[in-house]
Amino acid sequence: MIEVQDLTKRYFDREVVKSVSFFVPEGEVLGFLGPNGAGKTTTMRMICAYLPPTAGSVKVAGVDLAQDPLGVRARIGYLPENVALYPEMRVEEFLRFRAAIEGVPAKEVPERLAYVVDRCMLGDVQRQVIGTLSKGYRQRVGLAAALIHKPPVLILDEPTVGLDPRQIVKIRELIVELGRDHTVILSTHILPEVEQVCRRVLIIDDGRIVADGTPESLRTGFSGLSAVTVELEGADGASAAQVLGGIAGVEKVEVLADGRFQLAVRDGKAVRREVFRAAVARGWHILELSQSVPSLEDVFLRLTTREEVTGEAAAEVSYA
Amino acid sequence: MRKLLALVRRELLAYFSSPLAYVVLTAFLFVNGFVFWLIVAYLNDPRTRAMAPLRLLFGGTMYFWLLLLFVVPVITMRLLAEERRTGTIELLLTAPVTEGQVVMGKFLAAWIFYLFLWLPTLVYVGILASYATIDFGPVAAGYLGIALLGLLFASVGVFTSALAKNQIVAAIFAFAALVVVFSVGLIENLVTNPLWKNALSYMNLWDHMDDFAKGLVDTRRLIYPVSLSGFFLYLSVKALEAVKGR
Ligand SMILES: Nc1ncnc2c1ncn2[C@@H]1O[C@H](COP(=O)(O)OP(=O)(O)OP(=O)(O)O)[C@@H](O)[C@H]1O
Ligand SMILES: [Mg+2]
Repeated sequence: MIEVQDLTKRYFDREVVKSVSFFVPEGEVLGFLGPNGAGKTTTMRMICAYLPPTAGSVKVAGVDLAQDPLGVRARIGYLPENVALYPEMRVEEFLRFRAAIEGVPAKEVPERLAYVVDRCMLGDVQRQVIGTLSKGYRQRVGLAAALIHKPPVLILDEPTVGLDPRQIVKIRELIVELGRDHTVILSTHILPEVEQVCRRVLIIDDGRIVADGTPESLRTGFSGLSAVTVELEGADGASAAQVLGGIAGVEKVEVLADGRFQLAVRDGKAVRREVFRAAVARGWHILELSQSVPSLEDVFLRLTTREEVTGEAAAEVSYA
Repeated sequence: MRKLLALVRRELLAYFSSPLAYVVLTAFLFVNGFVFWLIVAYLNDPRTRAMAPLRLLFGGTMYFWLLLLFVVPVITMRLLAEERRTGTIELLLTAPVTEGQVVMGKFLAAWIFYLFLWLPTLVYVGILASYATIDFGPVAAGYLGIALLGLLFASVGVFTSALAKNQIVAAIFAFAALVVVFSVGLIENLVTNPLWKNALSYMNLWDHMDDFAKGLVDTRRLIYPVSLSGFFLYLSVKALEAVKGR
């Protein structure tokens, strides 16, 4: 549905999006994750045919951006990062205006209007002047405007920013619902949001894609490893490390403190069983034996903290 | 076409829901009322030669030009500058409309508003007509001249509004540009080289209005403002394409 090839944006001599490529199949809800200034908004603006790319190609629903930018615009419903609307207009007036410039046939307008007003819960502010709406309502008007022309693709730049918790839940539910019959790209800084809403996540840092996968696959690490912490009593550090390292499925042993070890393991369950057996056989006491799956936060921080994106992480990324 | 209409409609709505529009309208009426009073006083003077009275209203006084040079930038300053300042341009240019349509919509709305400002002056024509015999040919031509002048001035205003993000800056640029556009033609009176004189006479807006007010409709008086405004609109589209992401 959305094909992005080597998309690049340069401002003066600075590349803010660096040869980004990805593909979003029909019906997928894709999350864009990345620190401030990573290039999420810039990428989205290029896909929406607002900013001309410096290089690269974009295809939306089979329409090539370079050949038919208006065709691309017609197929996308876009909610910008800062939802700026005309303050002097009334909600309904604004939506009618959007319908007209989006090319919705005149006789379909009442039906579309009723649909988006219902979908975005705007019934009670329909006649209100936009300038007097609260932030949450303005966000919903923006979303309604993005939906008015029945676009197959939705691009939402931080759709829940600045909303109260109840609104956030409602908007998320709405996005999940819309995800059933739309292809969606949304950007966010809220990691739990990604896990709730998106089937797939792209992590972008400094204009590059550094990770791509389902939230689960990202959490269990790209290499599929999880961490097991072991604390043993009565064991000699060096030999214990050797024993633990010899267990099948243990990729790496790290000595945390005297008697404490962290194992990077492939199959946590089997490894814990073996650790228990080995300890019993040698007369060690197990004080702790726990497995932890890194949170998306950990993955995010590890991938986007510049110093750590060196050899090891880079290898993991290419693995992903 | 429907999209362009929607753009123009929205822009006109924005005009009439902003206080500035009413300030401009009031100032415009006030100055034109003063000019009208001058005309009446002048015509009441027994020493006055018989002449078409509305020639004074249509560009025959400095007030006319001062008014236009100030009013048009105020009308046009908001158009694109405000869209860029608030960021609404992003939503506008992610709808399937071209930069050309956006510029055209803004321009037409500004021009229509400009024509609307002139509407009340028809009352003066009516008043004069009830006291004296009026030749309606020159009156119609005079309004045509004003409309053409509006095309040219509005296109300059749209252009500076595309360049500047700040309305006031856009207005000042527009004023400066319009002073240049207005003054270029006046150089005609200073040069003697017939070639230059001929070329500059094309651009002489004072004579432009004077001809129309006399009832002379010359095609070159049509071509100059129309083609120049086309040029400025083209520049506006290019400017908008270049600056929209900034
Ligand atoms: N018009 C511009 N001129 C120069 N640099 C720009 C321009 N617009 C954006 N940038 C730079 O491009 C980089 C990426 O910006 P972008 O807005 O795409 O980031 P983002 O990932 O959306 O960040 P955030 O999470 O804060 O929204 C930033 O470093 C920004 O300073
Ligand atoms: Mg952003």
